[in-house]
Amino acid sequence: MIKLNGIEKYYSSGFVKTYVLRGISCEIKEGEFVSIMGPSGSGKSTLLHILGMLDEPTNGEYYFLDQAVHKISEKQKTEIHKQYIGFVFQSYHLIDELTVYENIETPLLYKKINSSERKGMVADILDRFNIVGKKDLFPNQLSGGQQQLVGIARAVITNPKIILADEPTGNLNSAQGEEIMDMFKKLNKDGTTIIQVTHSEKNAAYGSRIINLLDGWIKEEGKN
Amino acid sequence: MFENYIKVALRNLIRGKLYSFINITGLAIGISCFMLIFLFIQDELRFDRFHSKADRIYRVVQKLDHTEGQGENSSSNPFPVAQALKTDYPHLIEETVRFFNFQVPSFSLQYGDARFNEKRLFYADSSLWKVFDFPLSVGDPATALAQPNSIVLTQEMAKKYFGDDNPIGKVVRFEGAVDLKVTGVFAALPTQSHIVFDGLISFATVYGQTGPNFGKSWIWNPCWTYALLKEGVDPSELESQFPAFVNKHYPDFIKPQMTHYLQPLIDIHLKSKLDYEIQPNNNESDIYIFAAIGIFILIIACINFMNLATARSAGRAREVGMRKVLGAERNQLIRQFFGESLFMSFIAVLVSMILVALALPVFNNLSQKQLSLDFLANPLIFAVLILVGIIVGFLAGVYPALYLSSFEAISVMKGRIKFSGRSGTLRKGLVTLQFAISLALIIGTMIIYNQLSYLRNVDLGFTKEQVVIVPAKPPIAGRYETLRNEWMQNNSVINVATMNEIVGAHHNTHEYNYEGMEAGKWIYFPSLIVSETFVETFNMQIIAGRNFSKDFPRDDSLAVIINETMVSHLGWESPEKAIGKRMYTPTGDERVIGVVKNFNFVSLHDPIGPFLLDMPLSNQRPFWIKYIAVRIAPKDFRETIAHIENKWNTVVPEYPFEFFFLDEDLNKLYKSQDNLGKLVGYFAALAVIVACLGLFALASFTAEQRTKEIGIRKVLGASVGGIVGLLSKEFLKLVLLSNAIAWPVIYYVMDSWLNGFAYRTSISLMSFVLAALMGLAIAFLTVSFQAIRAAVANPAKSLKYE
Repeated sequence: MIKLNGIEKYYSSGFVKTYVLRGISCEIKEGEFVSIMGPSGSGKSTLLHILGMLDEPTNGEYYFLDQAVHKISEKQKTEIHKQYIGFVFQSYHLIDELTVYENIETPLLYKKINSSERKGMVADILDRFNIVGKKDLFPNQLSGGQQQLVGIARAVITNPKIILADEPTGNLNSAQGEEIMDMFKKLNKDGTTIIQVTHSEKNAAYGSRIINLLDGWIKEEGKN
Repeated sequence: MFENYIKVALRNLIRGKLYSFINITGLAIGISCFMLIFLFIQDELRFDRFHSKADRIYRVVQKLDHTEGQGENSSSNPFPVAQALKTDYPHLIEETVRFFNFQVPSFSLQYGDARFNEKRLFYADSSLWKVFDFPLSVGDPATALAQPNSIVLTQEMAKKYFGDDNPIGKVVRFEGAVDLKVTGVFAALPTQSHIVFDGLISFATVYGQTGPNFGKSWIWNPCWTYALLKEGVDPSELESQFPAFVNKHYPDFIKPQMTHYLQPLIDIHLKSKLDYEIQPNNNESDIYIFAAIGIFILIIACINFMNLATARSAGRAREVGMRKVLGAERNQLIRQFFGESLFMSFIAVLVSMILVALALPVFNNLSQKQLSLDFLANPLIFAVLILVGIIVGFLAGVYPALYLSSFEAISVMKGRIKFSGRSGTLRKGLVTLQFAISLALIIGTMIIYNQLSYLRNVDLGFTKEQVVIVPAKPPIAGRYETLRNEWMQNNSVINVATMNEIVGAHHNTHEYNYEGMEAGKWIYFPSLIVSETFVETFNMQIIAGRNFSKDFPRDDSLAVIINETMVSHLGWESPEKAIGKRMYTPTGDERVIGVVKNFNFVSLHDPIGPFLLDMPLSNQRPFWIKYIAVRIAPKDFRETIAHIENKWNTVVPEYPFEFFFLDEDLNKLYKSQDNLGKLVGYFAALAVIVACLGLFALASFTAEQRTKEIGIRKVLGASVGGIVGLLSKEFLKLVLLSNAIAWPVIYYVMDSWLNGFAYRTSISLMSFVLAALMGLAIAFLTVSFQAIRAAVANPAKSLKYE
């Protein structure tokens, strides 16, 4: 599904190049649950952003479903992005001015899905995530765990093939974290590919594979 | 999708209550000012357009030129002009109509016990309704003014004299001598007319009063004459005939000086500044000034809107980033932000409609208009409101829309966006512009007021205070001396004199032949026809020769007094040498007996030209005693006036007594400047308020944004004062900079405005310094409120969440 070949990312300031990622080559197959681990500053988030097409590598090749992402236009990227990728963030990034329902609905608006279909889809997701009772609340009226649940619901409503999660439990206590990780596990079982960035061994254990990064290099890859 | 935008917009509005309030209030005030000014200008531009044939109606006006004399630019013509034009050019002119009022200040009208002096009655030709569209509620346009001794009244007048009775057929006593039958009543008359009247009397009535030979003169020019051109006739076609017309009809001696030309009816109100206008017209330049102010206030309000939106963009950046991650395209976001700002601007439009409705009574009072927010009668208001809403929404939204939508999702997520850079500079620039406009308006207001007070206090060369003016009537001429003697019995009456026009405001020009001029020729000089006590009554100063005097009974036909400028105008070396020089009139071999010190016989817009004081021939007195001036002592003036009225009522029982104070009447010369000053003042105040609202919000925003910085500074030991200074300094610098922009611009504008006056104040630095101090003080108060709040906040709290 995803193939990376010699991905590099650096920032140059003056004559000094600061590498964030170097020589990243790997492959992620459909249905995998991959955890990217590593200490702060090792390039985990940048790698995730590159995978999510929010950021661009300086060098290297990136194939997504056999399409050469490093060659296609911004518009096509947005299209792929809209169709196949869901994002979950550490700090949830819900839109404060919108209710739970409307937050979940937003990606559908940008996919130009008609109103009645939208209603059905949102209702379905609310049901699946067990948050029907919260649908009219605003993000600041929810606990962190609940917000993240909404974040995931929003990510999966468009039926993405892959979910990219950036420390999804980083701001949560352990009970909330477990709930979220169980949700990912379930989604993975249902066929969604998941890539998460995490600090926690425990969370990494939910996945099928771990990629360890150190100073921008892949240190080791291991299977659980 | 759109629904979603509206929701976000609404919730943003409610969440940021302060910002929304300031945004909408500021914008609504701006739009309200703009709308008031729009209504005002629209009203001004509508003058005389309610006549269905307005585009074919022209006023025939007269120019009496002389290389040496003063001449006239008369808005009115001799009596025969209208008929002669119609007879001579039937292929060009469809109809003509004249208005006439004997050039007297008022006519008396009486019905039963109701007896009043009416200032706005005119004689008018029966062809009135073939030219104009003054609507009648009762009466037949074909016959209403056809018969002698007919009068058509306005509704208000009918009510005033007859109450609820049917006015038609009622007979009113006119000038104590003539009975007029009411033959019609006007419907409500549009206020946008340069001809304003309370009633019209059939022109034929004049001949009943004066005899059939009246009004044959081609010299006396009291008739306002309007011509309706035939369909498709170019006015220049008629104008090209005027030289031949003058040659055919006018007396030989006046031919070389006389020209006629045409004024489009619809241009009169704003463009015509001739002698003897029916009422003073307005200045076209005022329209431009108001339009500029309206647009400027709207700009100030728009700037608030833009500034606050960009200032808040930091808070919205995350939303933008998130929407992009969720698949939003840039143009979708652009649309969202435009949608939001349009939404806000239309709320402001709605609020402003309420504000305008509330402000209109006050504004009408100030501007002396009857404006209304009537969408049905004036659908253009609706269009303008919509247009303003769209333009303001667009202008205010363009920067946030383009700027915010350009954020890259990843940069926002990583907090890599810097907000202090480009948008900060723009914001500062806009605030500076706002304050520059406000300051310019403040300075402008001050200079206008300085000039007005200068005009009121400048020494006119005659006393205008404590002078009571009593309009007179021809029949009292024989009783004038009696009246004067009765009045002078009271010690508080200092002196009494007559004049044919109000000194300082109006005058006519008359024919003279000065020493050295070819015999049989006449040139026209402005002059007042006065009684022998005139100079003393007004405290004027004779600098050479003598005053008129009872001791010289033939002064009426043998003596004139000239002013200093006349001496130099005619090249007579000195006032002393001018004494005894010939100054013939058609009725007397007059000589210069004295030279009076220059006085301002016209408004201070114009410099003092050559001028004469002359006495009426004793047998012509009735015609020249139009006003009696009574100078009284300042003490107990009410009693003195009661005395004056008392004696009037015994000596002249047939006319109602009326009076006014000279200084108040002269102030009317500057009415339009006065109104301008008031309106500019109010709008300047509003502009300042709107600009301060913006500054307040921006300051609170900056303080909020710098919470962390302030917290750190406090932890490091900064004092409250130091922090207030830090936060205020930046804004105060902007206010200073805006002074630098405002000063030269407003100096230039006001200097050219002042140049419209022959007598003008110099522009004092005081106004500028005062405005700058005011600006600084207001800005400091506005900003420091927020700065102090931020400075006294507990740093532990502000740092905790970072």
